[in-house]
Amino acid sequence: MTIIILEIQIILTPLVSPLCAGVINKIKARLQNRKGASIFQPYRDLWKLLHKDEIISRDASWIFRIAPFIVFSITLLIGASIPLFTSFLTNTLTGDMLLIVYALAIGTFFLALGGLDIGSAFGGFGSSREMTLSALAEGGFIFSLLTIALINGTTNIFAIANADIFLHGKYLFPTLLAFGGFLVVLLAETARFPYDNPATHLELTMIHEAMILEYSGKKLALMEWASFNKLFIFLALWVNLFFPIGLAYTPGVITISMGIIIFMIKIFLGVLLIALLESSMAKFRFFRLPDLLLISFILNAIAIGLIR
Amino acid sequence: MNQIFLQFLLGIMFLTIVFLHLSKKNFSASIAYGIQSLVIVLFFLNSFFETNNLAILLVVFLMLIVKVILAPLFFIRLIKKNALAFSVSTYLNTPLTIISIAILTFIAHYQKFSPLTSIVPANQDSLSLALSAMFLSLFLIINRKGALSQILGVLSLENSIVAFVIFAGLEQNPALQIGIMFNIGIWILIATIFMSMILKHFGTLNVSSMNNLKG
Repeated sequence: MTIIILEIQIILTPLVSPLCAGVINKIKARLQNRKGASIFQPYRDLWKLLHKDEIISRDASWIFRIAPFIVFSITLLIGASIPLFTSFLTNTLTGDMLLIVYALAIGTFFLALGGLDIGSAFGGFGSSREMTLSALAEGGFIFSLLTIALINGTTNIFAIANADIFLHGKYLFPTLLAFGGFLVVLLAETARFPYDNPATHLELTMIHEAMILEYSGKKLALMEWASFNKLFIFLALWVNLFFPIGLAYTPGVITISMGIIIFMIKIFLGVLLIALLESSMAKFRFFRLPDLLLISFILNAIAIGLIR
Repeated sequence: MNQIFLQFLLGIMFLTIVFLHLSKKNFSASIAYGIQSLVIVLFFLNSFFETNNLAILLVVFLMLIVKVILAPLFFIRLIKKNALAFSVSTYLNTPLTIISIAILTFIAHYQKFSPLTSIVPANQDSLSLALSAMFLSLFLIINRKGALSQILGVLSLENSIVAFVIFAGLEQNPALQIGIMFNIGIWILIATIFMSMILKHFGTLNVSSMNNLKG
């Protein structure tokens, strides 16, 4: 049974993550009175890209070639290392909060290196913007996880997901503050509004798309898939660490099935919120983004201050 | 109502004051004040359910009309009439404002204030939060250049004091509450008229630009 659960745990992230992007695009299209593409369109796009030939610049070094594999592998590793639908699994090797944060940072680092490697202007400014935002988001990210780590007295995220929600209401407000702070970081790290517009290739606004502009074919597919995985990972962390409701606490077909269903509902609610946010607000100017990330950091700092 | 739910409501109130500090639009600030007042109304509704005192129910209705409906409506009308969509800037920039918010919140949770926040030991956390809401409201009055934001600061300070009093178990006679409600109602009316006069006279609500006093 444990092997089956582990297998589901490993394949769930890459399997479901494109669907999240598809659902966000569909909801956004419906809110704009458009029919929109099918929610399975990201799967078709990935399939198409995986079967296309690649064009690689003659200036590209081994970093450019290897970056998509590293970025994609890291998202796979993290996807398998975080609580998705169960909390009874014990993962002391890769389940530490700081390991997750810095593994994601390695992914971002290689993504930025891949963008810089070609030497094109677009890749350069995309990487520069991405690293600026990542550096600013890192503090909020760590502090929001640190809040719940301090509340639960552990940095192991499976142990955090296994704990009582808000410890019987004693830490309701700090948890809510950290939850809000994490949402701000989630939007920054996954290149969504108001930080980045995933649907545009306008040079004034793009961040993530600028970095992967030189990629094509299979490598572009891996980069796109990794970004879907990253969105799914952040959503899973957000809904499972701050509101660990409905996770399977014991192995068993019914509890696991219920765990997966409730997890998918929570992810859908997160996806719905992102789609609503993206449909109701404009992208911020780049120089206003540090303020927003600072708000996240301070919210989390206040949350930590409120823990007695 | 459940104690956890009351704490949650107090958290919402605190966040509305943080939002008032960060908001760039007068309309959303007015709505935030309405939500903040609604939280106070819910606190009083909780008192009514606990005591079954009909006078408190009257306070709840008055509060709902004056603070949740009338006050935001007055402000929104003023905003629309005078095209005041965007609020005037602050003395401190956004990062410094946020850092000040954090410092004030920590100060309110500092041990030095424990004689004040441990009036009811079971509510110490909530009282500290209400105290930080009071500090933040005072800071809002000081930090904002716009007269409308300053008025919202005064009103949210009043809300914070009421929240503190409720969690400290120092609720006063409903007759006094009704009197306060009457005062606030009249004050909002006068403040709105006063703001219209300031706008007519100076052409702005920016208090730092009101140095050309004319007869």
